[in-house]
Amino acid sequence: MKSLKKPTWLKKLLLYLAIIGPGLITASSGNDAPGIATYSMAGSKYGYTFLWLLFSISFGIVAIQSMAARIGAVTGKGTADLIRERFGVKTTTFAMLGLLIANLGSTIAQFAGVAAAGELFGISRYLTVPLSALLMSYFVLGRNYKTVEKVLLVLCLSALSYVIAVFIIKPNWAEVFQDSLQLSTSLSSNFILSVLAVIGTTITPWGIFYIQASVADKEIDVKDFYLTKFDVTFGAIWANLVAGFIIITTAYSLFPAGIVVESAEQAALALEPLAGSAAKILFAIGLLGASLLAVSVLPLSTTYAFCEAFGFERGLNRSVKEAPTFYALFGVIILISVVFVMIPNLPLFQIMWLSQSLNAILLPAILYLLIKIANDHVVMGEYVNKKLTNILSISLTVLISIVTVILLVSPIFS
Amino acid sequence: MIYVSQLLGQKVWDAYGREVGQVDDLMVAATEKNMPPLTALVLKKNRREIQYIPINQVASLWPSITLQVNVEKIEALNPSGHELLLKERVLDQQIVDTEGKRLVRVNDLQIARKGERFYLTGVDVSGLGLMRRLGLEKVGGKLVKLAGKGSHSEVIPWEFVASIEHDDPLRLSVSQSRLVRMLPADIAAILDDLDHHTSKALLQGFSNEELADTLEESSAEMQVAVLSHLNPERAADVLEEMDPDEAADLLADLPDQTSEQLLTLMDDEDAEEVRSLLGYPEESAGGIMTTEFAQVPAGLTVEEALEYLRNSKDALEDEIMYYVYILDEQERLQGVVSLRDLVISPLSTPLKKWMESEPIQVNPLTKPEEVAYLVAKYDLLSVPVVNPETNEMLGIVTVDDALDTVMPTAWKKKLPRFF
Repeated sequence: MKSLKKPTWLKKLLLYLAIIGPGLITASSGNDAPGIATYSMAGSKYGYTFLWLLFSISFGIVAIQSMAARIGAVTGKGTADLIRERFGVKTTTFAMLGLLIANLGSTIAQFAGVAAAGELFGISRYLTVPLSALLMSYFVLGRNYKTVEKVLLVLCLSALSYVIAVFIIKPNWAEVFQDSLQLSTSLSSNFILSVLAVIGTTITPWGIFYIQASVADKEIDVKDFYLTKFDVTFGAIWANLVAGFIIITTAYSLFPAGIVVESAEQAALALEPLAGSAAKILFAIGLLGASLLAVSVLPLSTTYAFCEAFGFERGLNRSVKEAPTFYALFGVIILISVVFVMIPNLPLFQIMWLSQSLNAILLPAILYLLIKIANDHVVMGEYVNKKLTNILSISLTVLISIVTVILLVSPIFS
Repeated sequence: MIYVSQLLGQKVWDAYGREVGQVDDLMVAATEKNMPPLTALVLKKNRREIQYIPINQVASLWPSITLQVNVEKIEALNPSGHELLLKERVLDQQIVDTEGKRLVRVNDLQIARKGERFYLTGVDVSGLGLMRRLGLEKVGGKLVKLAGKGSHSEVIPWEFVASIEHDDPLRLSVSQSRLVRMLPADIAAILDDLDHHTSKALLQGFSNEELADTLEESSAEMQVAVLSHLNPERAADVLEEMDPDEAADLLADLPDQTSEQLLTLMDDEDAEEVRSLLGYPEESAGGIMTTEFAQVPAGLTVEEALEYLRNSKDALEDEIMYYVYILDEQERLQGVVSLRDLVISPLSTPLKKWMESEPIQVNPLTKPEEVAYLVAKYDLLSVPVVNPETNEMLGIVTVDDALDTVMPTAWKKKLPRFF
């Protein structure tokens, strides 16, 4: 048995590799199709302005995601489980309704991403969208999901091309810094919607549910929580860095030229300094990988939450007969999304980023419940929120709420 | 039947009608397994203060919660630690089956009054329970009706809920396939104990068929009380769903004018059957018989008889069908054959070969005790009732109806149920 003895650092590494994942996957799929669309749009339309927003919300995001992960580790339950048990039927029903709407919007956006990527290759969306829906359902419902997930994660690495692109174009960093500090605010609905979209795609309601569920599923010991926290923090920082680089690239190459990204083709232009004529293909691959990764996680996460809230059997290790509601809802979400995206002349790119504004509008309600749970001694025992976590997460919640209110009242004043 | 959701948040008034607080939770004695009695109301007096009020100081729970004492004289209860808080620990919890498979969450909890005390009787897991929590019970009831399902509540009797371990899901002690909804007889037992107002509210939730089944199991006083709470059209609909003999018994207990009104509202065919039964005294074979029995014409082979039964409306309505009666064209009883013999006999043989041609029979005026005696003596499952003058067969008295007349009601409830 000597060979089984491993040095401590190796043990630690293995432990880390076993635990790592939820944070990174959540973060990577944060840079999904609607994410790429939103950042490209924001960068091309408003230059470096959104970098400050991205920077300032990242603290709140780390606080909230590690809070969700901690709740999962302490309770071993899903977010929806706890909402139902602590807040009763009424709150649960509204929260689930909100989540369903937000996630349906995001799922539609993912398929819009598939459609847009397909069209960059010159393939009709009427072929790519149903085909990808069937294929992903087959992989997700079949058991070889883990392999597929890895392939998709590799595809998502094409997001790295934005990082490389930044180093090729070598922007004047002092200028970037200065420009991003010019807090140009405007009360136009379009600007406010963009602010919401950037927030709503960087931290999503489904991401919160997903991260808690996967931590709870892995049955991570609270003692080893520092590893999960590292995973979450690292994932969030990495995702926000990539997001920042997307904004920088588009702001550098498209904003001065006055090109406002309104299609995937225009968004791909940002990668031209890196890939030249192959930019379109590189962009399409990244978009496709990100969309499909999210398609494989998002509808599943939604049905998990819904079934948890109302107590129905759920999970892929159950048969259709054992968990009929679970599979039915999964099918309905996919079907509605696919049919929606196939509406002729649907502006795919706008759908992608507007769905993220919707995410942000519905976010405060979920955050409110999450923060209440994390401060509940009955649920969390000694692991209730520390003061800093509360300050960071509450400020982000308040910020989103204020922006939403401004959005609603701005038409009155303009 | 009261639901916990209807009590939570309700205002509580003292004996002088002064507001004491709001119901925050309900407490039952966890030591009682099957039907835990309600021991206390947990009252929220203001944002912080909480008071436990023992149930014996509560005068009524429904429709409004009032105390027997005034606010100064409340003797607050100190929990002993063997109680279960219903909202805190049971409501909204996950229910799993014996194998840990998730079934549903606790949408509501049912409380029934028995005598002076209140008991936790069951766990409502229905969508209707969910709608009630949302304050949309009426909408929910309509939706259920639209969906074509009976608007009943799905209730898991509390005794089938096995464990309330800390923070674990509620586990059922019987497998899901064995889990039956509350049987009509159980509901009837509880109904008997409820005050009119509550039972009326409860009855709104039943379909005609369920109500008919329940009434058949209820005491005579209860039947009359329930029926008098329904509007005449609904009452007639319920009567149509009942066994004609049970319906006739019930109508016999009503004032003549009322029963006549109900009969005219009933479907002609059903009314005719009930009327013919009403002609006999209540305490006679004719009074307790049912006119629905399986019959075949004389002169068939076994195969033809089986085929005939398959298409026969009478056979379809005969809920138990132990025996098949052979009648001639004038409805005269020729013989009887048990379903067992019919099934195992060769198909091509004439039915006549297997039938008992001189069955034990009674006339409509035979005393029920006599019928019960015959049933017991000859081990019969039902006895044909025959008109002694014309030899025409009128109906059958089944074993349970025969025994009903000689056995005290209390015994019956203790007997195991066979069907």
